[in-house]
Amino acid sequence: MMASVDALTGIHVDNNDDMDSVATQLTRSSVPDLWAENVRLVAVKRDRAAFQLLYKHFTPLIRAFLLKSMGSGANRAEAEEITQEVLIKVWNKAASFNPAKASVNTWIFTIARNTRIDFIRRNDRNNREIDIEDIWHEAESPEPLVDMQQRRAEQVIKQAMATLPEEQVQVLYKAFMEGKSHNEVAEELGLPLGTVKSRIRLALNKMQILIDR
Amino acid sequence: MVSFHPDSKFLTDFAAGSLAMSEAVCVAAHLEFCGKCRAHVQQLSDVAAQMMARLEPIADEHDGFESLMQRIDSAEPAAPQESAVRAGRPALAASGIPRVVEKLAGGNLQDLNWVKLGGSLRIAPMDVGCKRRQTAIYDIKAGRPMPEHEHRGEEITVLLKGSFSDADGKYVRGDFVVRHAGERHQPTATLDTDCICLVSLEQPVKPSSLWYRLMEPFVQYRLSGFSH
Repeated sequence: MMASVDALTGIHVDNNDDMDSVATQLTRSSVPDLWAENVRLVAVKRDRAAFQLLYKHFTPLIRAFLLKSMGSGANRAEAEEITQEVLIKVWNKAASFNPAKASVNTWIFTIARNTRIDFIRRNDRNNREIDIEDIWHEAESPEPLVDMQQRRAEQVIKQAMATLPEEQVQVLYKAFMEGKSHNEVAEELGLPLGTVKSRIRLALNKMQILIDR
Repeated sequence: MVSFHPDSKFLTDFAAGSLAMSEAVCVAAHLEFCGKCRAHVQQLSDVAAQMMARLEPIADEHDGFESLMQRIDSAEPAAPQESAVRAGRPALAASGIPRVVEKLAGGNLQDLNWVKLGGSLRIAPMDVGCKRRQTAIYDIKAGRPMPEHEHRGEEITVLLKGSFSDADGKYVRGDFVVRHAGERHQPTATLDTDCICLVSLEQPVKPSSLWYRLMEPFVQYRLSGFSH
Protein backbone atom coordinates (compact mmCIF):
# COMPACT_ATOMS: atom_id res chain seq x y z
CA MET A 1 0.00 0.00 0.00
CA MET A 2 1.41 3.35 -1.04
CA ALA A 3 1.28 6.10 1.55
CA SER A 4 1.94 9.77 0.95
CA VAL A 5 1.36 13.01 2.77
CA ASP A 6 -1.38 15.21 1.42
CA ALA A 7 0.26 18.55 0.60
CA LEU A 8 -2.71 20.59 1.74
CA THR A 9 -3.39 19.09 5.13
CA GLY A 10 -0.30 17.13 6.07
CA ILE A 11 -2.52 14.09 6.47
CA HIS A 12 -1.14 10.72 5.48
CA VAL A 13 -3.16 9.34 2.61
CA ASP A 14 -3.21 5.70 1.56
CA ASN A 15 -3.43 6.07 -2.20
CA ASN A 16 -4.28 2.52 -3.10
CA ASP A 17 -7.42 2.16 -1.03
CA ASP A 18 -10.64 2.09 -2.98
CA MET A 19 -14.26 1.32 -2.39
CA ASP A 20 -13.73 -2.39 -3.12
CA SER A 21 -11.65 -2.75 -0.02
CA VAL A 22 -14.35 -0.89 1.91
CA ALA A 23 -16.77 -3.62 0.89
CA THR A 24 -14.26 -6.28 1.94
CA GLN A 25 -13.88 -4.66 5.32
CA LEU A 26 -17.63 -4.58 5.79
CA THR A 27 -17.82 -8.34 5.66
CA ARG A 28 -15.27 -8.86 8.42
CA SER A 29 -16.85 -9.76 11.70
CA SER A 30 -14.25 -8.25 13.98
CA VAL A 31 -11.32 -5.93 13.63
CA PRO A 32 -8.54 -6.13 16.21
CA ASP A 33 -7.59 -2.96 18.02
CA LEU A 34 -3.87 -3.29 18.65
CA TRP A 35 -3.83 -0.66 21.37
CA ALA A 36 -6.71 -2.02 23.45
CA GLU A 37 -4.49 -4.57 25.21
CA ASN A 38 -2.06 -1.83 26.24
CA VAL A 39 -4.88 0.22 27.76
CA ARG A 40 -6.14 -2.88 29.56
CA LEU A 41 -2.69 -3.53 31.03
CA VAL A 42 -2.49 0.09 32.21
CA ALA A 43 -5.94 -0.24 33.79
CA VAL A 44 -5.47 -3.60 35.46
CA LYS A 45 -1.74 -3.75 36.24
CA ARG A 46 -0.69 -0.09 36.09
CA ASP A 47 1.77 -1.43 33.52
CA ARG A 48 4.35 1.27 32.74
CA ALA A 49 5.85 -0.50 29.74
CA ALA A 50 2.41 -0.75 28.14
CA PHE A 51 1.79 2.91 28.93
CA GLN A 52 5.14 3.87 27.43
CA LEU A 53 4.14 2.25 24.14
CA LEU A 54 0.91 4.25 24.14
CA TYR A 55 2.91 7.35 25.03
CA LYS A 56 5.37 6.85 22.17
CA HIS A 57 2.66 6.35 19.58
CA PHE A 58 0.03 8.86 20.65
CA THR A 59 1.96 11.78 22.16
CA PRO A 60 3.28 13.11 18.79
CA LEU A 61 -0.25 12.85 17.32
CA ILE A 62 -1.97 14.48 20.30
CA ARG A 63 0.62 17.28 20.20
CA ALA A 64 0.04 17.78 16.46
CA PHE A 65 -3.73 17.89 16.98
CA LEU A 66 -3.54 20.35 19.87
CA LEU A 67 -1.13 22.69 18.10
CA LYS A 68 -3.60 22.88 15.21
CA SER A 69 -6.83 23.03 17.18
CA MET A 70 -5.98 25.27 20.11
CA GLY A 71 -5.87 28.21 17.76
CA SER A 72 -3.61 31.22 17.65
CA GLY A 73 -4.30 31.85 21.36
CA ALA A 74 -2.11 28.91 22.34
CA ASN A 75 1.66 28.77 22.21
CA ARG A 76 3.89 25.73 22.05
CA ALA A 77 4.31 25.60 25.84
CA GLU A 78 0.55 25.59 26.40
CA ALA A 79 0.04 22.89 23.78
CA GLU A 80 2.76 20.87 25.53
CA GLU A 81 1.05 21.28 28.91
CA ILE A 82 -2.34 20.19 27.49
CA THR A 83 -0.65 17.22 25.77
CA GLN A 84 0.72 16.13 29.18
CA GLU A 85 -2.74 16.57 30.73
CA VAL A 86 -4.25 14.31 28.06
CA LEU A 87 -1.70 11.57 28.80
CA ILE A 88 -2.25 11.83 32.55
CA LYS A 89 -5.97 11.32 31.87
CA VAL A 90 -5.20 8.29 29.70
CA TRP A 91 -3.32 6.82 32.68
CA ASN A 92 -5.99 7.76 35.22
CA LYS A 93 -9.03 6.79 33.17
CA ALA A 94 -7.71 3.60 31.58
CA ALA A 95 -10.20 1.57 33.63
CA SER A 96 -13.14 3.42 32.08
CA PHE A 97 -12.06 2.54 28.53
CA ASN A 98 -14.56 0.15 26.97
CA PRO A 99 -13.27 -1.60 23.83
CA ALA A 100 -16.83 -2.52 22.84
CA LYS A 101 -17.76 1.14 22.51
CA ALA A 102 -14.78 2.70 20.80
CA SER A 103 -11.26 2.11 19.58
CA VAL A 104 -8.32 3.43 21.59
CA ASN A 105 -7.79 5.95 18.78
CA THR A 106 -11.27 7.39 19.23
CA TRP A 107 -11.13 7.26 23.02
CA ILE A 108 -7.87 9.21 23.09
CA PHE A 109 -9.19 11.70 20.55
CA THR A 110 -12.23 12.40 22.75
CA ILE A 111 -9.99 12.94 25.79
CA ALA A 112 -7.82 15.34 23.76
CA ARG A 113 -10.89 17.13 22.40
CA ASN A 114 -12.40 17.55 25.88
CA THR A 115 -9.13 18.74 27.38
CA ARG A 116 -8.88 21.30 24.58
CA ILE A 117 -12.46 22.55 25.17
CA ASP A 118 -11.62 22.84 28.87
CA PHE A 119 -8.46 24.82 28.10
CA ILE A 120 -10.32 27.29 25.89
CA ARG A 121 -12.98 27.77 28.58
CA ARG A 122 -10.37 28.19 31.33
CA ASN A 123 -8.89 31.10 29.38
CA ASP A 124 -12.27 32.71 29.00
CA ARG A 125 -12.86 34.75 32.15
CA ASN A 126 -16.42 35.28 33.53
CA ASN A 127 -17.07 31.59 32.93
CA ARG A 128 -18.65 29.49 35.61
CA GLU A 129 -17.19 26.12 36.48
CA ILE A 130 -18.76 23.48 34.28
CA ASP A 131 -17.58 19.92 34.02
CA ILE A 132 -17.04 19.47 30.30
CA GLU A 133 -17.54 15.73 30.59
CA ASP A 134 -21.14 16.23 31.66
CA ILE A 135 -21.72 17.50 28.11
CA TRP A 136 -19.07 15.82 25.96
CA HIS A 137 -18.85 12.19 27.10
CA GLU A 138 -15.76 10.19 26.40
CA ALA A 139 -17.76 7.46 24.75
CA GLU A 140 -21.24 7.98 23.48
CA SER A 141 -23.16 4.85 24.19
CA PRO A 142 -25.12 3.81 21.14
CA GLU A 143 -27.97 1.33 21.24
CA PRO A 144 -26.84 -2.28 21.85
CA LEU A 145 -27.48 -3.29 18.24
CA VAL A 146 -25.50 -0.39 16.89
CA ASP A 147 -22.69 -1.29 19.29
CA MET A 148 -21.87 -4.49 17.45
CA GLN A 149 -21.48 -2.64 14.19
CA GLN A 150 -19.43 0.15 15.67
CA ARG A 151 -15.99 -1.33 15.17
CA ARG A 152 -16.72 -2.33 11.59
CA ALA A 153 -17.97 1.19 10.94
CA GLU A 154 -14.58 2.49 12.00
CA GLN A 155 -12.88 0.41 9.34
CA VAL A 156 -15.27 1.74 6.71
CA ILE A 157 -14.43 5.29 7.78
CA LYS A 158 -10.72 4.59 7.62
CA GLN A 159 -10.90 3.12 4.13
CA ALA A 160 -13.29 5.66 2.67
CA MET A 161 -11.36 8.63 4.03
CA ALA A 162 -8.50 7.83 1.64
CA THR A 163 -10.82 8.15 -1.35
CA LEU A 164 -12.29 11.58 -0.57
CA PRO A 165 -11.71 14.45 -2.99
CA GLU A 166 -9.46 17.21 -1.73
CA GLU A 167 -12.23 19.80 -1.29
CA GLN A 168 -14.03 17.43 1.10
CA VAL A 169 -10.85 16.51 2.98
CA GLN A 170 -10.16 20.23 3.41
CA VAL A 171 -13.48 21.05 5.12
CA LEU A 172 -13.37 17.89 7.25
CA TYR A 173 -9.85 18.78 8.31
CA LYS A 174 -10.78 22.31 9.30
CA ALA A 175 -13.81 21.07 11.23
CA PHE A 176 -12.22 18.16 13.05
CA MET A 177 -8.50 18.96 13.32
CA GLU A 178 -8.58 22.75 13.53
CA GLY A 179 -11.72 22.68 15.66
CA LYS A 180 -13.56 25.22 13.52
CA SER A 181 -17.34 25.37 13.40
CA HIS A 182 -19.22 25.19 10.08
CA ASN A 183 -19.63 28.98 10.24
CA GLU A 184 -15.92 29.57 10.83
CA VAL A 185 -14.95 27.21 8.00
CA ALA A 186 -17.37 28.99 5.64
CA GLU A 187 -15.98 32.38 6.60
CA GLU A 188 -12.37 31.31 6.25
CA LEU A 189 -12.81 29.67 2.85
CA GLY A 190 -15.17 32.35 1.57
CA LEU A 191 -17.84 29.72 0.87
CA PRO A 192 -21.58 29.81 1.61
CA LEU A 193 -22.48 27.89 4.80
CA GLY A 194 -24.61 25.53 2.69
CA THR A 195 -21.60 24.56 0.58
CA VAL A 196 -19.52 23.71 3.64
CA LYS A 197 -22.40 21.68 5.04
CA SER A 198 -22.95 19.77 1.79
CA ARG A 199 -19.24 19.01 1.34
CA ILE A 200 -19.09 17.58 4.84
CA ARG A 201 -22.29 15.60 4.25
CA LEU A 202 -20.96 14.15 0.98
CA ALA A 203 -17.82 13.04 2.79
CA LEU A 204 -19.81 11.56 5.68
CA ASN A 205 -22.09 9.69 3.28
CA LYS A 206 -19.06 8.08 1.66
CA MET A 207 -18.00 6.94 5.10
CA GLN A 208 -21.49 5.42 5.58
CA ILE A 209 -22.41 8.05 8.18
CA LEU A 210 -25.95 8.74 7.07
CA ILE A 211 -27.40 11.66 8.98
CA ASP A 212 -30.94 12.51 7.90
CA ARG A 213 -30.49 16.24 7.44
CA MET B 1 -40.96 8.66 19.54
CA VAL B 2 -38.29 11.26 18.88
CA SER B 3 -38.62 12.47 15.31
CA PHE B 4 -36.81 15.82 15.19
CA HIS B 5 -33.03 15.54 15.36
CA PRO B 6 -30.04 17.89 15.21
CA ASP B 7 -28.77 18.15 11.61
CA SER B 8 -25.28 17.17 10.44
CA LYS B 9 -23.97 20.68 11.19
CA PHE B 10 -24.93 20.46 14.88
CA LEU B 11 -23.69 16.88 15.25
CA THR B 12 -20.39 17.54 13.44
CA ASP B 13 -19.63 20.72 15.37
CA PHE B 14 -20.56 18.90 18.59
CA ALA B 15 -18.26 15.95 17.88
CA ALA B 16 -15.46 18.29 16.80
CA GLY B 17 -15.89 20.26 20.03
CA SER B 18 -16.52 23.58 18.26
CA LEU B 19 -20.19 24.01 19.16
CA ALA B 20 -20.89 26.88 21.57
CA MET B 21 -21.81 25.83 25.11
CA SER B 22 -25.49 26.73 24.94
CA GLU B 23 -26.04 24.72 21.74
CA ALA B 24 -23.82 21.90 22.98
CA VAL B 25 -25.99 21.52 26.09
CA CYS B 26 -29.05 21.20 23.83
CA VAL B 27 -27.38 18.54 21.69
CA ALA B 28 -26.20 16.67 24.82
CA ALA B 29 -29.76 16.74 26.21
CA HIS B 30 -31.13 15.35 22.93
CA LEU B 31 -28.48 12.61 22.90
CA GLU B 32 -29.81 11.26 26.19
CA PHE B 33 -33.12 10.61 24.44
CA CYS B 34 -31.75 9.43 21.08
CA GLY B 35 -29.57 6.38 20.46
CA LYS B 36 -29.38 7.08 16.74
CA CYS B 37 -27.79 10.51 17.24
CA ARG B 38 -25.48 9.07 19.92
CA ALA B 39 -24.27 6.55 17.33
CA HIS B 40 -23.74 9.36 14.81
CA VAL B 41 -21.69 11.37 17.31
CA GLN B 42 -19.62 8.28 17.99
CA GLN B 43 -19.02 7.79 14.25
CA LEU B 44 -18.09 11.45 13.84
CA SER B 45 -15.60 11.07 16.70
CA ASP B 46 -14.20 8.08 14.79
CA VAL B 47 -13.73 10.33 11.76
CA ALA B 48 -11.87 12.87 13.88
CA ALA B 49 -9.77 10.12 15.46
CA GLN B 50 -8.85 8.76 12.03
CA MET B 51 -7.80 12.22 10.94
CA MET B 52 -5.71 12.62 14.09
CA ALA B 53 -4.06 9.26 13.37
CA ARG B 54 -3.04 10.57 9.95
CA LEU B 55 -1.51 13.84 11.13
CA GLU B 56 2.17 14.41 10.63
CA PRO B 57 3.46 13.44 14.12
CA ILE B 58 5.36 16.08 16.09
CA ALA B 59 7.97 14.28 18.18
CA ASP B 60 9.06 15.20 21.72
CA GLU B 61 11.87 17.73 21.84
CA HIS B 62 13.33 15.49 24.51
CA ASP B 63 11.81 12.24 25.75
CA GLY B 64 9.22 13.38 28.28
CA PHE B 65 8.08 9.96 29.44
CA GLU B 66 10.10 9.86 32.70
CA SER B 67 9.03 13.35 33.74
CA LEU B 68 5.41 12.49 32.95
CA MET B 69 5.62 9.39 35.16
CA GLN B 70 7.15 11.46 37.95
CA ARG B 71 4.25 13.85 37.66
CA ILE B 72 1.75 10.97 37.76
CA ASP B 73 3.52 9.38 40.76
CA SER B 74 3.62 12.58 42.77
CA ALA B 75 -0.05 13.42 42.13
CA GLU B 76 -2.83 12.39 44.46
CA PRO B 77 -4.42 9.14 43.27
CA ALA B 78 -7.27 10.12 40.98
CA ALA B 79 -10.67 9.97 42.63
CA PRO B 80 -12.92 7.26 41.23
CA GLN B 81 -15.16 8.80 38.59
CA GLU B 82 -17.84 6.28 38.01
CA SER B 83 -21.02 8.26 37.84
CA ALA B 84 -23.30 6.99 35.10
CA VAL B 85 -22.52 9.99 32.93
CA ARG B 86 -18.76 9.67 33.34
CA ALA B 87 -18.81 6.02 32.42
CA GLY B 88 -20.27 6.97 29.06
CA ARG B 89 -23.77 5.78 29.74
CA PRO B 90 -25.87 8.81 29.00
CA ALA B 91 -29.26 7.99 30.38
CA LEU B 92 -32.09 10.02 31.70
CA ALA B 93 -32.12 10.77 35.40
CA ALA B 94 -34.81 9.10 37.52
CA SER B 95 -36.92 12.23 37.09
CA GLY B 96 -36.98 11.64 33.32
CA ILE B 97 -35.05 14.87 32.77
CA PRO B 98 -31.66 14.57 31.00
CA ARG B 99 -28.79 14.30 33.47
CA VAL B 100 -26.89 17.10 31.78
CA VAL B 101 -29.79 19.49 32.44
CA GLU B 102 -30.21 18.41 36.07
CA LYS B 103 -26.48 18.77 36.63
CA LEU B 104 -26.36 22.27 35.16
CA ALA B 105 -29.47 23.26 37.09
CA GLY B 106 -27.74 22.09 40.27
CA GLY B 107 -30.30 19.37 40.99
CA ASN B 108 -34.02 19.94 40.96
CA LEU B 109 -35.44 22.17 38.23
CA GLN B 110 -37.98 23.52 40.72
CA ASP B 111 -35.17 25.23 42.63
CA LEU B 112 -34.17 27.39 39.66
CA ASN B 113 -34.96 31.10 39.63
CA TRP B 114 -38.29 31.02 37.83
CA VAL B 115 -39.70 34.18 36.30
CA LYS B 116 -43.46 34.14 35.66
CA LEU B 117 -44.58 35.58 32.35
CA GLY B 118 -48.35 35.81 32.43
CA GLY B 119 -50.51 32.90 33.51
CA SER B 120 -49.26 30.16 31.23
CA LEU B 121 -45.49 30.47 31.03
CA ARG B 122 -42.56 30.65 33.39
CA ILE B 123 -38.89 30.80 32.46
CA ALA B 124 -35.77 29.89 34.43
CA PRO B 125 -32.52 31.20 32.96
CA MET B 126 -29.58 28.80 33.10
CA ASP B 127 -26.00 29.96 33.22
CA VAL B 128 -23.93 27.73 30.97
CA GLY B 129 -21.14 30.27 30.54
CA CYS B 130 -22.15 31.25 27.04
CA LYS B 131 -22.25 34.90 26.11
CA ARG B 132 -23.59 34.67 22.58
CA ARG B 133 -26.82 32.95 23.50
CA GLN B 134 -29.37 32.76 26.26
CA THR B 135 -30.13 29.40 27.76
CA ALA B 136 -33.29 28.79 29.77
CA ILE B 137 -35.86 26.24 30.85
CA TYR B 138 -39.42 27.04 29.76
CA ASP B 139 -42.41 25.62 31.59
CA ILE B 140 -45.72 25.96 29.72
CA LYS B 141 -48.95 25.09 31.55
CA ALA B 142 -50.91 22.13 30.13
CA GLY B 143 -53.17 23.14 27.27
CA ARG B 144 -52.04 26.77 27.31
CA PRO B 145 -50.44 28.70 24.49
CA MET B 146 -47.23 30.64 24.74
CA PRO B 147 -47.42 34.19 23.42
CA GLU B 148 -47.00 34.18 19.66
CA HIS B 149 -43.49 35.34 18.94
CA GLU B 150 -41.10 35.98 16.11
CA HIS B 151 -37.44 34.98 16.17
CA ARG B 152 -34.70 37.49 15.65
CA GLY B 153 -32.14 34.74 15.72
CA GLU B 154 -31.96 30.97 15.81
CA GLU B 155 -33.86 29.23 18.57
CA ILE B 156 -33.25 25.63 19.62
CA THR B 157 -35.90 23.89 21.72
CA VAL B 158 -35.37 20.46 23.24
CA LEU B 159 -38.52 18.97 24.72
CA LEU B 160 -37.78 17.54 28.14
CA LYS B 161 -41.29 16.71 29.31
CA GLY B 162 -44.82 16.81 27.92
CA SER B 163 -45.45 17.84 24.34
CA PHE B 164 -46.40 20.91 22.38
CA SER B 165 -47.68 21.76 18.98
CA ASP B 166 -47.62 24.71 16.66
CA ALA B 167 -48.83 25.34 13.14
CA ASP B 168 -46.09 23.05 11.77
CA GLY B 169 -46.64 19.97 13.85
CA LYS B 170 -46.55 18.21 17.18
CA TYR B 171 -43.37 17.75 19.16
CA VAL B 172 -42.70 15.18 21.87
CA ARG B 173 -40.05 14.43 24.52
CA GLY B 174 -36.53 14.42 23.13
CA ASP B 175 -37.37 16.34 19.96
CA PHE B 176 -34.75 18.89 18.91
CA VAL B 177 -36.54 21.74 17.13
CA VAL B 178 -34.75 24.62 15.41
CA ARG B 179 -36.45 27.89 14.44
CA HIS B 180 -34.69 30.51 12.38
CA ALA B 181 -34.73 34.29 12.36
CA GLY B 182 -37.93 35.74 10.98
CA GLU B 183 -40.11 32.70 11.71
CA ARG B 184 -43.21 33.35 13.81
CA HIS B 185 -44.97 30.71 15.80
CA GLN B 186 -47.21 30.15 18.78
CA PRO B 187 -46.47 26.88 20.55
CA THR B 188 -49.26 25.39 22.66
CA ALA B 189 -48.69 22.78 25.33
CA THR B 190 -50.89 19.71 24.91
CA LEU B 191 -53.79 19.25 27.30
CA ASP B 192 -52.70 16.43 29.57
CA THR B 193 -49.49 17.75 31.10
CA ASP B 194 -47.23 20.77 31.54
CA CYS B 195 -44.55 21.11 28.89
CA ILE B 196 -40.94 21.64 29.95
CA CYS B 197 -38.35 22.65 27.36
CA LEU B 198 -34.69 23.52 27.24
CA VAL B 199 -34.29 26.58 25.05
CA SER B 200 -31.21 28.19 23.53
CA LEU B 201 -31.76 31.58 21.93
CA GLU B 202 -29.37 33.38 19.67
CA GLN B 203 -31.13 36.70 20.21
CA PRO B 204 -34.06 37.61 22.40
CA VAL B 205 -37.32 36.73 20.65
CA LYS B 206 -39.65 39.53 19.69
CA PRO B 207 -43.16 38.83 20.98
CA SER B 208 -45.80 39.88 18.46
CA SER B 209 -48.40 41.24 20.84
CA LEU B 210 -48.09 44.79 22.12
CA TRP B 211 -48.39 43.70 25.73
CA TYR B 212 -45.40 41.38 25.54
CA ARG B 213 -43.46 43.94 23.57
CA LEU B 214 -44.04 46.44 26.35
CA MET B 215 -43.01 43.87 28.89
CA GLU B 216 -39.92 42.79 27.04
CA PRO B 217 -37.43 45.29 28.53
CA PHE B 218 -38.57 44.16 31.97
CA VAL B 219 -38.21 40.50 31.08
CA GLN B 220 -34.77 41.07 29.62
CA TYR B 221 -33.78 42.96 32.76
CA ARG B 222 -34.98 40.18 35.04
CA LEU B 223 -33.37 37.48 32.93
CA SER B 224 -30.03 39.21 32.64
CA GLY B 225 -30.09 39.85 36.39
CA PHE B 226 -30.11 36.12 36.99
CA SER B 227 -27.67 35.02 34.38
CA HIS B 228 -24.51 36.22 36.08
